[in-house]
Order: sequence, then structure tokens, then C-alpha cells
Amino acid sequence: MDIMADFTRSLSCSSGRIRPKFLVAAIGCCVMAAAALHAQEGSRYKASPIGSSVTIDGTSTIHDWTMTGHNIAGYLEVPAGVVLDPAKEGLAGASGNTLAAQAQVSIPVSSMQSGHEGMDEVMQDAMNAKTYPRIQYHLTEMTLKTPHAAGTPLEFDTKGELMVAGVTNSISMPIRIEPGEKSKLKVTGSVPLKMTEFKIKPPVKLGVFRTADDVKILFEWVISPPAPK
Amino acid sequence: MNPNESEQSRYNRRDFIRNTSTFGALMAVMGGVPLQAEDKPSANSGATDYSTISAPVSCGVIGCGTWGREIIQTLAALPNAPVVAICDVYEPMLRRCKEAAPQAETFSDYHKLLDKKEVEGVIVATPTYQHREIVEAALKAGKHVYCEAPLASTVEDARAIAKAAKAAVKCNFQSGLQQRADPQKQFVLGFVRSGAIGKTVMARSQWHKKQSWRRPSPNTEREQVLNWRLRKETSAGLLAEVGVHQLDLMNWLMHERPAWTSGFGGILAYPDGRDVPDTVQSILGYSGGVNLSFDCTIANSFDAAYDLIFGTDAAVMFRDDKAWLFKEVDAQDLGWEVYARKDVFYKETGITLVMNASKSVQQKKPETGETTVASADPTVRTALSAFITNSGIIRSGVKEFVESYGADAEGLAENLATLAKGRSHAAGYQEGLDATITAIVANEAVMRGQKVPLEKEAFEI
Repeated sequence: MDIMADFTRSLSCSSGRIRPKFLVAAIGCCVMAAAALHAQEGSRYKASPIGSSVTIDGTSTIHDWTMTGHNIAGYLEVPAGVVLDPAKEGLAGASGNTLAAQAQVSIPVSSMQSGHEGMDEVMQDAMNAKTYPRIQYHLTEMTLKTPHAAGTPLEFDTKGELMVAGVTNSISMPIRIEPGEKSKLKVTGSVPLKMTEFKIKPPVKLGVFRTADDVKILFEWVISPPAPK
Repeated sequence: MNPNESEQSRYNRRDFIRNTSTFGALMAVMGGVPLQAEDKPSANSGATDYSTISAPVSCGVIGCGTWGREIIQTLAALPNAPVVAICDVYEPMLRRCKEAAPQAETFSDYHKLLDKKEVEGVIVATPTYQHREIVEAALKAGKHVYCEAPLASTVEDARAIAKAAKAAVKCNFQSGLQQRADPQKQFVLGFVRSGAIGKTVMARSQWHKKQSWRRPSPNTEREQVLNWRLRKETSAGLLAEVGVHQLDLMNWLMHERPAWTSGFGGILAYPDGRDVPDTVQSILGYSGGVNLSFDCTIANSFDAAYDLIFGTDAAVMFRDDKAWLFKEVDAQDLGWEVYARKDVFYKETGITLVMNASKSVQQKKPETGETTVASADPTVRTALSAFITNSGIIRSGVKEFVESYGADAEGLAENLATLAKGRSHAAGYQEGLDATITAIVANEAVMRGQKVPLEKEAFEI
């Protein structure tokens, strides 16, 4: 990021002498270069299209309900040299327990299904899916729970920001990382939330049925390790 | 059990129990609750006003004969199925259909309809023998396809359609076996599957309707086109053209395909040059010695159409949109039958099998106190509605997959398969193939007057 800061500073000093087209091109090149540099900085574990699931569990005055989706896009990036390997003791390649990791995760609202006729559309409406078609999560920090014994799941406490229906809230949750199929990794976790925290009005029907404000999100996210260089 | 039965067509004891228990009933109502299309809240109900209508899918209809017109009228009545294009080679048919779909662009060449990007789903309602080339072209053009039943008039064409539908991962394919989408049929199916009739011993179906099948036209060429059903080179006869739905129902109830078929038939009432029998009697053999006998005639109307499945404890009769249970005196009490509505048939009393009709699940409307029983939509409407819902789900699933993982990522088919839970019940290509092959081979047995095996391989895609 220092490169970007330096570039911005120099740009602000010399902007009077740079023509707009050149300016756009220069910014474009610089952003690409910065992105390339950034990509080299970390190891990126990309979402796998197969095997992931996310569930929203809720209750109501009549019965429990569940919505499930299988589309979790995005990546988890850990600092260069760090290897998420549950088979090894501790965390291979890490200098401390807290990682400057980041993750960008997004889930299409319309991929969440209840199995009840009409309910999916109601939830999409309630979550304002037309304007905010994806639930977004941005992980900012993950801290390894120690000690980690070889051959057991890696467990982390995480911090991040969750955006649902256009409302962003900070959330903390523990996650586990364990081996999945075909050398992939499975990231699992759960977090209790309130619909109203995201300004979602719990659906109500005819005064006899009322969904509870509290819901629980559970996920199993399959990610593929970066290709060996 | 048919291992290839599509996810949205599967139905088992667990589904039935879930749907018929008190808890299940409440689920249906609420699970439901904010969630059923008919439950549009009134202004003073205190309910949350959310839409329950699935996303619209623009439709094109190819084949605007009597049935095509029915389809266009049904689509026009749906809130999410705009008919944007219609196609027929005969201009007067197009003109009549325009009344129900005034905004639709008209075509005489289906290729041009398929070229229209705006058309997302195509309903193929042409004569059966023309289905294959149209369906293959539509799937190739990336359209969702609803193909009327039977799929085809030959085994080869039916298999080609099923193969193309299976390969077109990004397209929703629905066979026009509309009973598969009917909640009432699903309800009774679960009832039969749960063992309520005891051990199944035999089945009987009939379709009797006096009508010559010959359609007049002052134009000789047009008359030839109209009467494709009367020629064996273009038609698999009564068993395919009308019997396919009843054969499908029996395959569904038996949860298997027949292993052999035998039959007889002839041109007994209309010796007018046709070479397709007007009266057929067919036997189809299922496992364990259970046989279905099926009479089909256009020479006599007596007793119309119905389907009966007989078990050691009870028989179930399907007639029109209803079903009845006729219990044996030595059968165990089911518990709810004393409360159920009954109808008398000559010397027998039938217990009405209507979805959500048992006393435990009847609901009182809070504002009126009136007792209501959920009734199923007319089956065509339900089937077309399922097509729209399921096409929308596939469309959105493909888009989301590409956005999440890229256009070239592997795993699209697996990912789309996970969306089955949200789909409406409907017949897919496998059910379409099963019923079509059953009907075509049953017709072949009639035409040959001998027993013909139904090889398992014929049903594999």
C-alpha cells in the first residue's frame, strides 16, 4: 500500500502537468501493478464450485425453518509463506498467531432455498435482493487458537464485516479449517444474528405466524489451495 | 425405484407423512405462511407484504392448434409468463392465438422464433412427430423447453430428445406430463406409497370417448396435415396420444417401469382409410406379477376415463381431478376416515382423497369462520407454472455460478443439482422418456398383436 500512497502523493504534486487521458492510463497501470504486487504478497485459497453449503436456521411461532444455499464465491488469502495445513503442528510459516489475512466472500441471495413454496421469494424480497443480490462478507483478521496439534482442525477466531440487505455489521466468529476432498480445505463456522440488526423485518402472516428475529448462519465453505509455483 | 427419476419428481413416504401430519399441515399453511401465492395479505391483516411470485420467464409457443391455444391462454393468465412469440405454419391458427397473446410476435418459421433472444422458454405443442427437431433446435439455442407429451412418436426420437435435454445443462426441460406437477396427485401418490392400500395386486385404466379423431378441412393438403394422428407413420396411436398420461400415472404409482407389454386393437368404428386403431386393449406387466390392463377407445364413451389401483387392503380410483379410497372390510382403520367426505358409487362407498381434507388439517378462515380445503390448480396451469419457476431457478443458478466461479469453471451441473429443493414438482426428461417409451412399445404390441419386452436399456439415456 505504500506504493499506492507514494504514487498518490506524487500525482497530487504533478497533476497540473498531466493530461487526463494519460492520467487515467497511469492510474490503470498503477492499480494493475499494485494488484499484481499484492497478489504476490499472499497465498490465495479460492472458493470451489462444488461441496460448499450455507444454511440460515430460523424459528417461528409455528415451526422451525431452514434456507440452504450452495454457492459461496470468493477467496481466503493468508500472508505469503503461511500454509493452512491441519496436518502440521501449529500454523506452518506463520510468525505469530494473528494473521493479516483477508477474505472476500459473497453468496447470492437467490441461491438460498427453503423448500417451501413461495418462501424463497419472500426472503428475497425481505432481504431486498433486487438491490443487494449478494450477501457479502469481508474478513479482516484471524487468530489461531493455540495449541494446534498436528492432524486436528485449525481453529481461528475471526473478525470481519457482514453486509446483508445493504446493511454492514462487524461480526466475530470462530471457524475451523480441516482437510476436504481432493486436497481441498473445508472451512466451517456458525454465527447467531438478528434479522433486525440488518434492518430486515421478520416476515409475519395474518397475526398467527411470526418468524423470530434470531437466526443462525452455518456454513461449510470448500476452498482450493493455491497452485504450487 | 427408478434411479433416474428426477429430483423434483421424487416422492416418498417421508414426503407424504410430512405433508399429511398436523405438523405438516401447519407447515403447508405457514411454511407457507408468508409464503403462498394465494395468501396475499389484506391491508388490515398485519402481515408483511412480500411478493411470492417467482421471477418472470418470457415464453414462445410453437404450435398453435387447439392445445397450443389452451397453453397460450393458460400462460397469459399466469403473472410471470409473458408470451412474447408464437409460431405456427397455418396463419389462421396464429390469428386465433393472438387474441390471448396480443403482444406476441408471430412467426411461421420456428427457427426465427428461436433466434429471438427475448424468448427464454419455449413450449412445443406441435404434432408429436415434429417434436424432435424443434426441441433439439430450441435446446441448442439455449432455450428452456416444455415439450408436450408424448415426447415423440418413435423410440428413436424420444431417446434423442431425452439425450439432448440431459446434455443441455443450462436449460430446464419439462415433459408435458402435467399430472406430475399436480399437488393432488402427489398427495394421493404419497398415500399409496405409504402402504395404505396394502400389497398392490393389479391395476386398471380406461379412456373412453366417442370422437372420430378425424378433423375436417375443405383443403385436402390441410386435411392431411390435421389428421397426422390417423397415420401410423406419424402417430403411435391412442396409447401414446391420450394414454401416455395414464401410463405415466401408473408407472409413478408402481414406482417402476413395466417389463413387458401385450395388446390387441383394431379399426372397429371408423374404417375410413386410417391405419391407426380406434380401439385398443393393452396389458402391461410390472414386477411381482402385477399387471395393468388399459382400454382405450374412441368408439364408445361409456364410463369415460379413470385409473384404478387395487391392493389387498383397499383400491384407489382416480377420476377427473379427484381420487377415492375403497377399503376392504378386513383392512385396518386409518383413524381419520370417519371424518372424511364420502361418495357412493353404485354399491360401494368411496372415501374422498383430497389434499388437506382430513379433519385435522382443515383450516378455519379467521375472519369468516368458513371451513376451507386447499384445492389444486388445474393441472395444466400448475405444470406451466412449475415450468416458469424451474426455468427461472436454472437461469438464476447459471448466472450466479458464472458470477461466482467464472464461465469456464467445472461443476455447473453439480451446483445446479443443489437447487432441486427450490424447484416445483414436474416431469423431467427421464419421466417423459419412461412414459413415452412405455406408450410407444405398448402401441407396437397392439399393432403386432403380440407380447413385446420393454428392455431396461430403452429407458437409459
